[in-house]
Amino acid sequence: MRNLFTAVLAFAILQATLRFKDDGDLARRLRSRDPHVMPKLYDRYGRAAYSLIYRVVRDAGVAEDLVQETFLRVWNRAQSFDAERGALGPWILTVARNRAIDHLRSVEGRMAAGALELDRVENPALFSNFEDRALTLDRARRLKEAFTKLTPAQKEVIELAYFEGLSQTEMAVRLKQPLGTVKTWVRTALKVLREQLSEAAIA
Amino acid sequence: MPVPQALQTVEADWRGRQFRLPAEWSVMSCEELEDMFELYSLALLEGDEKSEVEAHLARGCETCQRHLRDALAVNALVMAGVPEMAPPARLRRRVLAGMGIERSGWGWLGAFAAALMLVVALWLSVQERRHANELAEARSEAIQARAERDRLYQAFQILNQPETKRVNFGEGVTQPPRGNIFVHPKLGVLLIASNLPALPAGRTYEMWVIPTKTSAPRPAGLFQANAQGSTINILPGPLDSLYAVAVSVEPEAGSAAPSTQPIIVAPVPGA
Repeated sequence: MRNLFTAVLAFAILQATLRFKDDGDLARRLRSRDPHVMPKLYDRYGRAAYSLIYRVVRDAGVAEDLVQETFLRVWNRAQSFDAERGALGPWILTVARNRAIDHLRSVEGRMAAGALELDRVENPALFSNFEDRALTLDRARRLKEAFTKLTPAQKEVIELAYFEGLSQTEMAVRLKQPLGTVKTWVRTALKVLREQLSEAAIA
Repeated sequence: MPVPQALQTVEADWRGRQFRLPAEWSVMSCEELEDMFELYSLALLEGDEKSEVEAHLARGCETCQRHLRDALAVNALVMAGVPEMAPPARLRRRVLAGMGIERSGWGWLGAFAAALMLVVALWLSVQERRHANELAEARSEAIQARAERDRLYQAFQILNQPETKRVNFGEGVTQPPRGNIFVHPKLGVLLIASNLPALPAGRTYEMWVIPTKTSAPRPAGLFQANAQGSTINILPGPLDSLYAVAVSVEPEAGSAAPSTQPIIVAPVPGA
């Protein structure tokens, strides 16, 4: 698992800017349910959604189903998206990741609070007020660099959170470690990533 | 502090669906919560930590909103950093068809197939027309060849009969036409001529038979010469009498009586 994640990071080609200049226009047309926007939306984010979902479920057929579900969900929930200041890419990726995690959980039989929670955090209203600088290619590179600074344990908990959807309690069970230790790894790892992206690091 | 509109929506969305810790009950500071927004946005926060984050967000706390935005950016960048995989081309059609936006099924492949069929149909119709033209051409060639064969057979018939008389004309001169006329009382008259001058456009040769010394010439067929100035012309059918055979140049449609001086006049002796 650790080697895998290291490899993933080593070969990761970070997407270019996650916020395209004309995403506002796409979002407006999405909100007004202009069906012609969907091909454009798919062309822009279909590959990223598929890559992310495949990364989680590791099955091409399942990934295709979930990509379809992702775009259907985006289409159906777009009315409450903030077209002016919303971040379309992060929202679509979140929806995609959640579909994949939901699938993984149902396969593994660990539904817990599951679907409702996922549903809640992909509310398009959450993705408002994004600043342009938040999602630049430069920051994507910076984040990639930040991963190299993580310890193997820190990388692993990040992996388990983003791509396997394990809560800290579940991680503690999976890794046979005290919950406190897991929480420290998570907190430290996220701090490293966040600080790498912060304004101080850019300056 | 006014609650931002986006968060009001979030709150409205959440209301009634879940028990929420009243904001005034929260015990953690914004700084203490800073590390929790990524997990919160991934739906992985549990228990008190989750309630605390929700309480702060519902309160419209600016620091926490900034933390949330930063966390969403971190999450997006991590999620976008996975190895790139190319989805199969059919997925695009499937996704759009699933929303009823593009017709399900063949999409561009169907359009391509239709275009291909159109091209094939067009090609076939062109071919068919070409074949039809070729066929008509071949048919008319066959008709011409048959006519030519019949004519040569008639000529052979006349030449092959012992009763056939031969009359020579133009002997000893180079420029004017020369040749032979073969006369058979039942089969008709055969003219074989060479050295015929080229005709201007819209003109034809016309053969005449003159039955007796005093009778007027009777039309005996229109003909053209080949590129070498040679020709064969036959007037089939029995003849009561024949005094002479003549050839003149006439308008394309032929004439009832010669309109120009004859270029060949061949008296048939003993007739």
